[in-house]
Amino acid sequence: MARSLDLESKGGRAPVGLPSRPSPLNRRSLWGLVFGVAIVWSLTQAGMFGRDVINEGGWPLVVRFLQASVRPDLSPEFLPLVLKATLVTLAYAVCGAALSTLLGFVGGILTSEVWWQAVIPRRSKGGRFGDHRAPWLILRAGLTLPRAIHEIIWGLFFVNVLGLVPLTAILAIAIPFGAITAKVFSEILDETPRRPLNALLNSGVSPLKALTYSLLPQAFTNLLSYAFYRLECSIRAAAVLGIIGAGGLGYEIFLSLQSLRYEQMWTLFFALFLLSGLTDFWSGLLRRRLGAASRLELNLLKRGRRKMQAHRRDPVVNGSLAVAVGLLVFSFWYLRPDFTQLLAPRTAQLLAGVIRDSFPPRFEAGGMGELFALSAQTLAMSILAMTGAGLLGIPLSFPAARNFLLPGGILNPGHGGRGRRLWGTGLLLATRTLLLVARAIPAPIWALILLFVLFPGLLPGAIALGLYTLGILGRLMAEVTENLDDRPLRALKAQGAPGPQVFLYGVLPRTLPGFVAYVLYRWEACIRATVIVGLVGAGGMGRLLTEQLSSFDYRGVVATLIFFLGLTLLVDLTSASVRRGLR
Amino acid sequence: MTRPGDPSGFRTCAGPIFELKNVDRRFGDLQALTDVNLRIWPGERVALVGPSGAGKTTLINLLNGSLLPSRGEVRVLGHNLARLNPRALRQVQRQIGTVYQQFYLVDNLRVIHNVNAGHLGRWSFLKAAWSLLRPLEVETAAQALAQVGIPEKLYARTDQLSGGQQQRVALARVLVQDPAAILADEPISNVDPERGREIMDLLRRLNRQTGKTLVVSLHAIEFAYSHCRRIVGLRRGRILFDAPPSKVSPEMVAALYRIEGGRGEDGPVP
Repeated sequence: MARSLDLESKGGRAPVGLPSRPSPLNRRSLWGLVFGVAIVWSLTQAGMFGRDVINEGGWPLVVRFLQASVRPDLSPEFLPLVLKATLVTLAYAVCGAALSTLLGFVGGILTSEVWWQAVIPRRSKGGRFGDHRAPWLILRAGLTLPRAIHEIIWGLFFVNVLGLVPLTAILAIAIPFGAITAKVFSEILDETPRRPLNALLNSGVSPLKALTYSLLPQAFTNLLSYAFYRLECSIRAAAVLGIIGAGGLGYEIFLSLQSLRYEQMWTLFFALFLLSGLTDFWSGLLRRRLGAASRLELNLLKRGRRKMQAHRRDPVVNGSLAVAVGLLVFSFWYLRPDFTQLLAPRTAQLLAGVIRDSFPPRFEAGGMGELFALSAQTLAMSILAMTGAGLLGIPLSFPAARNFLLPGGILNPGHGGRGRRLWGTGLLLATRTLLLVARAIPAPIWALILLFVLFPGLLPGAIALGLYTLGILGRLMAEVTENLDDRPLRALKAQGAPGPQVFLYGVLPRTLPGFVAYVLYRWEACIRATVIVGLVGAGGMGRLLTEQLSSFDYRGVVATLIFFLGLTLLVDLTSASVRRGLR
Repeated sequence: MTRPGDPSGFRTCAGPIFELKNVDRRFGDLQALTDVNLRIWPGERVALVGPSGAGKTTLINLLNGSLLPSRGEVRVLGHNLARLNPRALRQVQRQIGTVYQQFYLVDNLRVIHNVNAGHLGRWSFLKAAWSLLRPLEVETAAQALAQVGIPEKLYARTDQLSGGQQQRVALARVLVQDPAAILADEPISNVDPERGREIMDLLRRLNRQTGKTLVVSLHAIEFAYSHCRRIVGLRRGRILFDAPPSKVSPEMVAALYRIEGGRGEDGPVP
């Protein structure tokens, strides 16, 4: 407040001409310039300015593939297989999400600053840093490794230790997702108001009990809605894991694609759209009921505290919880994962063997040069993917937002007739379906389809990742628009400004920063995902990693992973500093 | 700042600038306004007073066409708002400028763009878009800001201004819009008392110098006495009195803000 009072003009100060225009050279335009250079560099890496990228011979295959979409294989021999594959994918996702929530819950408490402050209270009043910081930071750093490694890599690792059993797929989802959930949950805990906790601690209650009676109930709704968001992600992860042979829809799609049975593939696609769409809808509905405005961490933290309130009596919430418990029981029964395997001596032996084989890391005979080149390729691939997804996602996200084209929305302020309502609803459904399809199909499958008409290399990988990311980003961006405070818009409308102008001055300036933040945020996820398109030969470090894993070259794997982690760290830091700079 | 080619037919209409006939406004079960009849003439300076929840904001929103009445008729510049198509409604709305309690500015834009938003009713889409890249009509905006006393904030970011300054930006936007009437919905509730007085002075000066009609809703009645020439008292959605300040007695004010016991029977009139 004091600062704003200083700024207040004291009146009577005569203006000396116009204030000079601010220089166009600011932090924003500098980042814009860096971005432009990065794009040109990435396109060069992808070979856009040199050799052929389009394989003309592939078009007939594309036509056949598209034709198959209108006559999917609905034969009675095939449909039971589709059902079984769908149930397997669902069960993997449910078990994985449940386990990751459990891991995230425990891990979140252990990696929250507030927990360590409660356990190790500050002893001396003068000290600037409490003693709690050391264990907290160490545990926090420990979370980065499982997070940075993609589910697929975890899957390939567990296949070697446990074999191709359901437990492999479940753990491959639960470990990275558990680490992500732990990070988010610890942030939720740290952001929750602490006064009730301190009141209990000061009256001599032990930290665990104090936490159970203060912060945990407060933060629980947040965790619950986040767990359902994770279920959405788990469905997609479970589908991707099929590619390494874990079974389910991803596996069957992969097989049909390899054997050119496109009619079957489309049936499986439709099953995947249905499963993914229903999960997204359910999770979105539940989160709205719980009061969590947005599905991603960024907004969860900012808005969560204000809006979160548990509606304990809400039938949707209670019904959803009952369904969730039912699904959980069914999934464990259906898959029957053998957790005793984790304690079996054979597993320990194999694990020890893998670890023994992994050290010391061996950097390729070609030396670090190849690894650096592959890192550059991977980086270029992620930059192209994110740029494409962002540029396409923004225009698609607006019609996909509920408050945009529908009557009473931003661009349709009138009490519009049936024609406008139909038009708005139609566009809403069309864009939402498009985004759903884009994110439901696993990125490696997108890559394989693109390889019909593109020569292998960075480009098909980048487009595949871009399409997948587009599906996720578009939905997130639509939510940014849906959560917009509409009062400034009403003010503009009330003075007679037409819809497009209201959009320009009221919507775009307030959504664009959020969009850019989401793109930068997803960039981190995208760099992780480059691995999975590498799996099908789309280039980058993913390809090398797959080769090394399949030839059991663990020392090479460790070397590649070290580079990969470095790259992830670089992207994390860049993304965070750009986000700060644009704020 | 008056533009040539103004739809002056609007300005010189002989009748009242605002007219409400038997207006009800309901929000679901809540009856916000009941049987309101009101005429406001060009150039008047009217205060709407009453306790919170009396229907002041609803009335302002009916006057600027943001809301339509559930029953009855709202006429602005002679036009029945419910009968207008969206385009014609916008034409009328251009003649009505509104400032709000919470300012409702786009706070991550520079001040100049918020001020220029006053042009949006007239500007083409392309002109509006270009101005976001390189501000147009800078002189007009600077003049408006000088009039409200913050000329130096032209290129500042709006969210870095204090509450009082933001309300001035909102006023500058209305000046650029150059309407026939200014509606102000509790414009000083969110600024400190001294700035509040300055803003009220400014509104009064605008009315005196340009002849723009002023309708301002106020939570506290003091400024209604000192700055307006007509006071409309609203209580529970009904007009309790409508008189010049000299005729508004302390008893009438007391009746307006009286607190009644028994919340149950205090609810909206069915």
